[in-house]
Amino acid sequence: MAARILSKRGLDIKLRDLGCNLVALQNKNVVRTAASAAQATLSDFEIQHKQPLVKKTTPIPIALYGGRHAVTMLPGGGIGPELMGYVKQVFKYAGAPVDFELVDIDPKSDETNDLEYAITSIKRNGVCLKGNIETRSESTGVQSRNVAIRNELDLYVNVLHCHSYPGVPARQSNIDIIIIRQNTEGEYAMLEHESVDGVVESMKVVTQSNSERVARFAFEYARRNNRKKVTTIHKANIMKLSDGLFLETSRKIAKEYPDIEHNDMIIDNCCMQLVSNPHQFDVMIMTNLYGTIVSNVVCGLVGGAGLLSGKNYGDHYAMFEPGTRNTGTAIAGKNIANPIAMLSASIDMLDHLGHKQHSELISDALRKTICEEKIHTPDLGGTATSTEVVQRVIDHILQADIRAW
Amino acid sequence: MSIISRNVFKVLLRASPNVAARTIHTTAPNATLADLPDSRVNATLIPGDGVGPELVYAVQEVFKAAGVPVDFESYFFSEVNPTLSAPLEKVAASIAKNRVCLKGILATPDYSHTGELQTLNMKLRNELDLYANVVHVKSLPGVRSRHTNVDCVIIREQTEGEYSALEHETVKGVVECLKIVTAQKSQRIAKFAFDYATKNKRKKVTAVHKANIMKLGDGLFLRSCEAMAKLYPKIEFERMIVDNCTMQMVSNPQQFDVMVTPNLYGNIVDNLASGLVGGAGVVAGASYSADCVVFEPGARHTFSEAVGKNVANPTAMLLCSAKLLNHVNLPGYGEMIRNAVNKVLHDGKVRTKDIGGQSNTQEFTYAVIYNLQPLQKPTQ
Repeated sequence: MAARILSKRGLDIKLRDLGCNLVALQNKNVVRTAASAAQATLSDFEIQHKQPLVKKTTPIPIALYGGRHAVTMLPGGGIGPELMGYVKQVFKYAGAPVDFELVDIDPKSDETNDLEYAITSIKRNGVCLKGNIETRSESTGVQSRNVAIRNELDLYVNVLHCHSYPGVPARQSNIDIIIIRQNTEGEYAMLEHESVDGVVESMKVVTQSNSERVARFAFEYARRNNRKKVTTIHKANIMKLSDGLFLETSRKIAKEYPDIEHNDMIIDNCCMQLVSNPHQFDVMIMTNLYGTIVSNVVCGLVGGAGLLSGKNYGDHYAMFEPGTRNTGTAIAGKNIANPIAMLSASIDMLDHLGHKQHSELISDALRKTICEEKIHTPDLGGTATSTEVVQRVIDHILQADIRAW
Repeated sequence: MSIISRNVFKVLLRASPNVAARTIHTTAPNATLADLPDSRVNATLIPGDGVGPELVYAVQEVFKAAGVPVDFESYFFSEVNPTLSAPLEKVAASIAKNRVCLKGILATPDYSHTGELQTLNMKLRNELDLYANVVHVKSLPGVRSRHTNVDCVIIREQTEGEYSALEHETVKGVVECLKIVTAQKSQRIAKFAFDYATKNKRKKVTAVHKANIMKLGDGLFLRSCEAMAKLYPKIEFERMIVDNCTMQMVSNPQQFDVMVTPNLYGNIVDNLASGLVGGAGVVAGASYSADCVVFEPGARHTFSEAVGKNVANPTAMLLCSAKLLNHVNLPGYGEMIRNAVNKVLHDGKVRTKDIGGQSNTQEFTYAVIYNLQPLQKPTQ
């Protein structure tokens, strides 16, 4: 849907148009000229219904030269810029072979130029490290930037590895759950309209193709990481068709993975089980909205929003961000934001890029700081400032002195 | 002398990262950080032909004096002396393992011993897929040349085009030489150029071509560059025909920023541009694959007439080694060597013959060593 808005302007900067068939291109160009001439003539409904949800793109070679990767960095709003600064510091001392391309997006403007540039940049580099981007505008034409990026890049799955940090005060200990969430459709399809005055319909879209991709990803992930069980979270007792399709699809895929146990659970029961006995869960898959709720619940159990990192994957691109998508505007600039989430997102990124040595170096340093020395920011009940935590991590990196460039 | 200075530098350089790190907050430094274990970086070294071994020796002297924690795996690799040369597989395996290499220039004979058309240089590049050659042509302080303030980067595709080594005599007296251009490799080099420009905050990329004559071959290269340019809206893109480009280069080289070229044009433009700023002895370059980098002087000239005469200019090789150090995350040492070279050139007391002086290679090297100064803060 965001793509629909994007596609009206600056279509020519998108790579997929290079390989696209000519007819489609011309059609889009007609739409663009019409749209730029009279932006307001397209209704919200028309804006929403022009393009399919699953994008087909031509892969671009990723930016890897002489062992160094280029990665797009979107600091976003709130505490994003500070956290990115810490990541850069830590990478510098760890010698991580990554060059960041910084792209700032102005939260106040309704223009999509910055956003388009950010998306193009991710397409070029293949990988992105992202804070949470604010979207202040509330007009229907302006999309949430975060959703727009996910949809445009077709990052159809979000993976959140929820694990307890020993030494961090939390409600539950020894939690180790992987939440895999459909990231581009479901309730976030954002197809809303007012059919009669005073009656608003919001559509939840579940497609078989997307459900299948997510389920397959989940089982492959489980197999690769030696996980034993996959649980599908749904509400198919009420939404028999949409959630039913999601559940059926995951059951079908489960048959192809006989070595992994599969069961399902209704979302409301799941939330209760999570807070009472979270240890029964291993890998969980779910649709978009349930995913955001469940991941926030689990984050709360292990110690708050500042600890976990999330990974978004599509067929061609990967994006790494803090696990719970909060901007933290209230604590920005106070030097108390917890840097762990963003640092562990950057560790995930190094893992994804194949720089195992560096990711281990940084995660070891992080573990020593958080779990052994218990240097915590106020959100974990500690008294340390953000920079103190980062400084300690850097000290550990320097001490290890594995000159892994 | 060198042992003392080595240790002094080492201590200062080891301490300096902490100094910078401390600046982000004000708690007392951790005492345990002083005694760090010593870990070193491995790099492959290919001295090459001509004056290569002398220049490489200069680099090793400077590294020794500065206490640079780099160990070289040295291979004699040569096409003009095939019986003594290390096998290609062994050299390539070493570079693939170390991921960095410092290399002199290999002489390329006009005839082939074995009848093969591929030169050793080409074989090494193909073996490691070193597709992008980057030559940063920059005016140096104190080196007199025709132009000042030249600062351009020439990026050359070096695995296909005219260098495909596909030549044959179809009929007696008629030889065909195939120039291969592929969309995949053209896109790859175009993307490399634009990514390089983005990373180094450059403003403009110029594609050098001859698509008015070779409409299909160079046309494909040009179209690939144009398509890639659309993904980089913040970087200006222009195209220039190679003959015009060479003329512009000698009359007004300041107009160029990043240039992306196919193989043969790149070779010519590289050497031309090197001539503008002081010759083959002062320009550093590097060849990139996805995983490894080979640092070598920018102009491909072995200077074989000067072998053993102790007159060659080690500036290019020293700048290559500084780039190597930057690449392996030892920017402090890299900056130190670069500053020393610039200081020596700027002072102008010790100059080799090619840039109008009377000194020899050894004197220049010692002058650089004398001017090595540890940095207060690492610059990165």
